[in-house]
Amino acid sequence: MIATLDRVTYTYPAGHSPALRQIQLTLDEGRFVVVAGPSAGGKSTFLRLFNGLVPQFSGGRFEGRVRVCGRDATRTPSRDLALTAGMVFQDPEAQSIVDRVEDEIAFALEQRGLRPSEMRARIDGVLRALAIEHLRDRRLTTLSGGERQRVAIAAVLALGPRLLLLDEPTSQLDPDGAELVVDAIHRLHGERGLTTLVVEHRLDRFLPLADDVVHVADGAAARLAPRRFAAAYAGAPAVARLGRRLGLDPLPLTPAEAYAGHAAALAALRPRPLPARPPVGAELIGARGLELAYGSIAALAGASLVLKEGEILALMGPNASGKSSLLRAIVGLAEPGAGELHFGGERPPEGVAARSAFAGLVPQQPALALYQATVAEEIADSLASRRSALSLAAALARWGLTEIAERDPRDLSVGQQQRVAIAAMLAHEPPVWLLDEPTRGADPATKTWLAERLRVHTASGGAAIIATHDIEAAAAIATRVVRLDGGRVDFDLPATVAFGAGGPLPTQVAQLVPGALLPEDVLV
Amino acid sequence: MSTVAWTGWVTLVMAVALTTTNPLYLTIVLLTVILVAAISPKTEGAGLGIRFMLVLGLALFVLSIGVAVINTGSGEHVLLTLPRLDAPDKLGGLSLGGDITAEAVVGGAIRGTVILSILLGFAVFSAAVSPHAVLRLAPAVLFHAGLVITIGLALLPSTLADLQRIREVQALRGRAAGIRELPAIVVPVVMGGLDRAMRFAEAMEARGYATPPPVPAATRLLGMASAPLLIAAAWIWFYYPEIRWMGVLAAVAGVAAVLLWGWDIARRRRTTRLNVEREPLLLFVAGRASFLLAAGAVLADLGGWLPTSYNPFAGLPAPEFGAVGALLALAPTWPLLFLASAEGRPSEGRAAPEAVLQ
Repeated sequence: MIATLDRVTYTYPAGHSPALRQIQLTLDEGRFVVVAGPSAGGKSTFLRLFNGLVPQFSGGRFEGRVRVCGRDATRTPSRDLALTAGMVFQDPEAQSIVDRVEDEIAFALEQRGLRPSEMRARIDGVLRALAIEHLRDRRLTTLSGGERQRVAIAAVLALGPRLLLLDEPTSQLDPDGAELVVDAIHRLHGERGLTTLVVEHRLDRFLPLADDVVHVADGAAARLAPRRFAAAYAGAPAVARLGRRLGLDPLPLTPAEAYAGHAAALAALRPRPLPARPPVGAELIGARGLELAYGSIAALAGASLVLKEGEILALMGPNASGKSSLLRAIVGLAEPGAGELHFGGERPPEGVAARSAFAGLVPQQPALALYQATVAEEIADSLASRRSALSLAAALARWGLTEIAERDPRDLSVGQQQRVAIAAMLAHEPPVWLLDEPTRGADPATKTWLAERLRVHTASGGAAIIATHDIEAAAAIATRVVRLDGGRVDFDLPATVAFGAGGPLPTQVAQLVPGALLPEDVLV
Repeated sequence: MSTVAWTGWVTLVMAVALTTTNPLYLTIVLLTVILVAAISPKTEGAGLGIRFMLVLGLALFVLSIGVAVINTGSGEHVLLTLPRLDAPDKLGGLSLGGDITAEAVVGGAIRGTVILSILLGFAVFSAAVSPHAVLRLAPAVLFHAGLVITIGLALLPSTLADLQRIREVQALRGRAAGIRELPAIVVPVVMGGLDRAMRFAEAMEARGYATPPPVPAATRLLGMASAPLLIAAAWIWFYYPEIRWMGVLAAVAGVAAVLLWGWDIARRRRTTRLNVEREPLLLFVAGRASFLLAAGAVLADLGGWLPTSYNPFAGLPAPEFGAVGALLALAPTWPLLFLASAEGRPSEGRAAPEAVLQ
């Protein structure tokens, strides 16, 4: 047994109610544990118990006992506990000190007074374990997010912890970067037998690797077997939700498991007839041959697309393919060097404020701009800036924010903050919504909320473009898919074709049941 | 050039500039720094930093002259006379305007040249050496102060990026640019910066950087005692010349207390280095000699033995020019010997631009 939590109850310094309640849990050595649950349920707080950040760094009221590797985690100084329980955070940029990879990994070892030969041996070992030997002499600022996150893991591992704690390590990364980090964590666990705790929303990658799942919700924690957890959790991977509908036993967690265990049952499945494509109206946005460059780097190289009333267009493609640049060019945050742009068939107005009155853009991290004391003031501020005729009460109700109208945006959970920020950006209800990675780091409840808002918007003649990497979320809402690559349109297909079996971006369910995209599309 | 050598050089520039009021020597120091700035290796971004510091230094040079001429009023060589405004005695008796004298202009120019030389020297140093490399050189006793500065520097670029993002988001919300909209920009930047700093501090705590080993009470007492001892030493030295020997005793005691405090902390925080910068013998000697020369210049100035002072208000005499002062002013030229042979190569601290763009 590597850790024991005994009747732990914890309240943050400014908290009115406990963030964690009466948690009683043991953790066996060498296990791979996924910590899952709804946003603001207490997952990150739970994780911080194991290295003493809660309550040593956060303060607040603490009851109970936490023992990690035989030491009292609430009393052992973090300097010493860091040797036992190493932690990697969400944001790879907010956890590095030195500017070269080798120096960054060596920094903590130097502070411990290790001999250079011992340091070199440890650095070689962790670089090899994480397959980043080629990055040894690189500067951190030249690395991608996935590479930086692996360097952060290496820096923690070099101290030789027995317990590795990861707080949403892939939430800030694109799919390629996330895949590299997941592979690295999986390999480390397999090769070194390192006890690993991962807090994560994107369960499709981590759940198949887990020995246990700790479900944290409303401050309570319960340990479950992964399949038992997937059988009940709303945010389980699509293949598990399909298996749940079909009553498959054992419940598959990946398409490969489903094929291997239930080939006959899958072969008998038929898709529900897909709904008729919703009628589309007049052209709202027309972009033709847009070219845009940042210095000598071309971001758009002749990109074209048309968006019509009633459409939800998923804009997909690898990093730096031009997705964000296209959205920025539409609202005037970037000036294309060539090409034509039309709003409703006419030349767009000049200026960001005027253009975003017609095509409202929600950029990445919109919550950065929240600054008012309450949610209501934040929405009122947006309505006043736009001179909108909509009443504050109506806007709050439309965006489902009435219940939290008097709360301080900074005290809300990440998911709630994201909703407030999206509402603040689009409170004036422009006909076109442009959303840049709105589901990154979002919990299932926020994704469902956004999908519902988009359906209401397009049903009333609006349209939307959503830049995203999330195939499953896009398949649930998009009517069309445009993939960019190198600043050009790679393909422009109906969503049923793009995400379907044989399409370029098949969903998990489409791989199992041709003709269906989501678990709900399969006839049972 | 190594980090130690650059640190020695910038220390020497600062010491010589601060201990010299002779305009001839100061001009030599300034020209020396400009020459080193021109030939020192720098990335594109670092070049921008030097230009910024040059503009700031020139602005402060002009401001220094401006402040000197409008509130001095003393001197015999009157250039022109402005209307005079005297503040009441209760407010310090400050006078603005009146006679604008050549002495005041020269005095302001001397102060401005000191500021310009130091700013430019630091810009060159910052362009050539990574702050992280300096942090790794910091003695154990200064580790936490260095860590705070390094973290601040690490957060600066992300804060500037936040500023740009928030301006864009507010424009997308339909807010017009202008002074009334400042809170919509400043509040989120400050809140975001605090939030980022907290996350950074938490990450450092989790890695065990933030918690030093415990220091015993006796050591802390030594550290606390050193400050009043050194202040007392300076006080006695300048205001009670008849008992200067007591000032010397207090200074010795203060320095001893600082050294013991630092030694004990360093002993408890045993650190090592993975990579030690290798220096040719000549560079090693030049870097360390710079520290010694800087310390010697400061001590000689305190003792009044340095022939580099000049008082323009003593009738605006022609500044003297002697061998000692000239050699001291020329001392910061030594990096030219090493840079001339390594021109075009990146320094150890900063990568070349192409490496950054990989």
